[in-house]
Amino acid sequence: MWDLFISIFVNVLVWIYDVVGNFGLAIILFTILIRIVTWPLNAQQMKGAAAMQALQSDKDWQAIQKKYAKDKEKLAQEQMRVYKEKGINPFSSCLPTLIQFPIIIALYQSIIQALASTPLDLLKLSRSISLPNVSELIPLNSKFLWMDLGRPESVAIFGFALPTLAVIVAITTYIQAKLTMPVSATPGDQGAAMSNMMSIYMPLLLGYFALTFASGLSVYFITSNVLGIIQYAMQGKANWRNLIPGVLKKK
Amino acid sequence: MRKKLIFVTTILLGAFLLSACAGGTVHGSTWPGLATDGNMVYLADGAFVYAVSLEEGRELWRYPGSRNSKLVFYATPAVTPDGLIIVGSAGTDHSLIALDPNDINPETNAPVEAWKFTGATDYWVAAPLVVNDNLFAVNSDGNLYILDLQDGRSVKDATVVTLGGRLWSRPITDGERVYVTSLDHSVIAVDANTYEILWHENLDGAVPGSAVLSEEDGMLYVGSLASKLEQFDPVTGNHQPVLEAENWVWNTPSLDGDTLYFGDVDGNCYSFNTSTGSLNWKPIKPDGPITASPLIQNDHILLATESGSVFAIDRDGKVLWTEEVGGKIYTTPIAAGDLTIVAPLETDFYLAALDSNGRQVWTFTPEN
Repeated sequence: MWDLFISIFVNVLVWIYDVVGNFGLAIILFTILIRIVTWPLNAQQMKGAAAMQALQSDKDWQAIQKKYAKDKEKLAQEQMRVYKEKGINPFSSCLPTLIQFPIIIALYQSIIQALASTPLDLLKLSRSISLPNVSELIPLNSKFLWMDLGRPESVAIFGFALPTLAVIVAITTYIQAKLTMPVSATPGDQGAAMSNMMSIYMPLLLGYFALTFASGLSVYFITSNVLGIIQYAMQGKANWRNLIPGVLKKK
Repeated sequence: MRKKLIFVTTILLGAFLLSACAGGTVHGSTWPGLATDGNMVYLADGAFVYAVSLEEGRELWRYPGSRNSKLVFYATPAVTPDGLIIVGSAGTDHSLIALDPNDINPETNAPVEAWKFTGATDYWVAAPLVVNDNLFAVNSDGNLYILDLQDGRSVKDATVVTLGGRLWSRPITDGERVYVTSLDHSVIAVDANTYEILWHENLDGAVPGSAVLSEEDGMLYVGSLASKLEQFDPVTGNHQPVLEAENWVWNTPSLDGDTLYFGDVDGNCYSFNTSTGSLNWKPIKPDGPITASPLIQNDHILLATESGSVFAIDRDGKVLWTEEVGGKIYTTPIAAGDLTIVAPLETDFYLAALDSNGRQVWTFTPEN
């Protein structure tokens, strides 16, 4: 099943490569395709974030915050009750990010398979591509801008190897996570705490991935993040204030 | 708290899965390189290069002495006339290393590095070609590196000839020219003395195997992923397809007099007569895809298949015996003394030695 999933990814990637003739562009276009396919999930995320935001001004919500300010366990129970009553899933904003994991793993394997850095990889690639002109296409050209998409990236500046893509991945992931995070006025709000934790851990984790794995994966991360930011900004749902440190606490 | 735990676990699991697909240094990530000097078998497989005794299949040493994350081996080692073992790494340091098997470090039980060349920028897949004091080594960065071996114990800065594409197969030479095949669908001839590119010809598919020079007709033959056997004029580079195979020709055709034996990934084995330009017999189909070159021996030809079998055929294409070694065989078997050594993947052992009747004499599995 998983192999079939990977095979579909590889075939789509190689088909795009066949059309545009550049594997970096193929990854970017593939990412756009992924964003379109996962659009319902993103829409659910935005809906969830909006509901969470609206909840902050709800009187019932504010009342339980005051009433159970010193009893965190009870507060959590009451918050869950409110979530249930209003049909809000406090983790709906996290879900699309978590759904990304199987996609990231599949994409990573697809990139490695498509770029075929070993003879066995090249043989496997030939068997997983269903395009008629496969022998003309392979091996795919792994060069894109200054990068070798099958290898981790770094740029040598004054003798130091700087992982520029890893830094960009971490920054764009942070920005996207912050923009989509609902503003919480209530201490001990589990949903907000979870989102806040995500906005710290995810940039670090994806930055680490970008540092360690094939730079083609970083191209996916950056494209996906930038598209996400644009999407939220165009819909007017981006919380730009969240980018300013300390805003959550002041609220 | 429980949800936080689930969240963190999910992230760690994702990180682990992604890390697990990175692979790289493990046995079985691709097919290994195999060579012999007549006394020992050298196996480049994953994190180590192993020296195995030919008589009993026992490990004599391994390099490096302990695992080094920067080193990955699957390029076929080359043995120089003065006994050095030269092997390229597909690891991150892109080094080409000369090992001296006569100088073993007693603490690590690993051979001492006679020299190390780190001027390449990508990984090594191909075995280098040793010609007198020169070493012609091709790298995945598209360069041909010519190293002056001098007294065989030191190496100067390399002369670099940029050819392009990923270069995965051992160069060959007729003394005047060095012929290199490239995955960028080309075959290139370089002057063996001036290192000038003499011709650079394109094909319809990548060429993962080496070229072969026929002494009978003086022509150069190359199999390609365009499923063709191509004939080249070694002087001008003029070329033409002489045979359409059923599928990709992965490896170097093996020359026996005026006959070329080669397989394709559909599992066909061809016997092509270079004098008549036709097949000697209808292709036979053993039991699986063939990526390894046929091994020419005195009274038979050995074919190794991805199905893990070794077939001995006579020169009329008749099967003499079959031995199911197990696993998957991609690496070209080698002849060493009276034995044939095969290096299968996906089995419990790394090497198997067969006698002339296909009976298994020993197997080799590293202890740890």
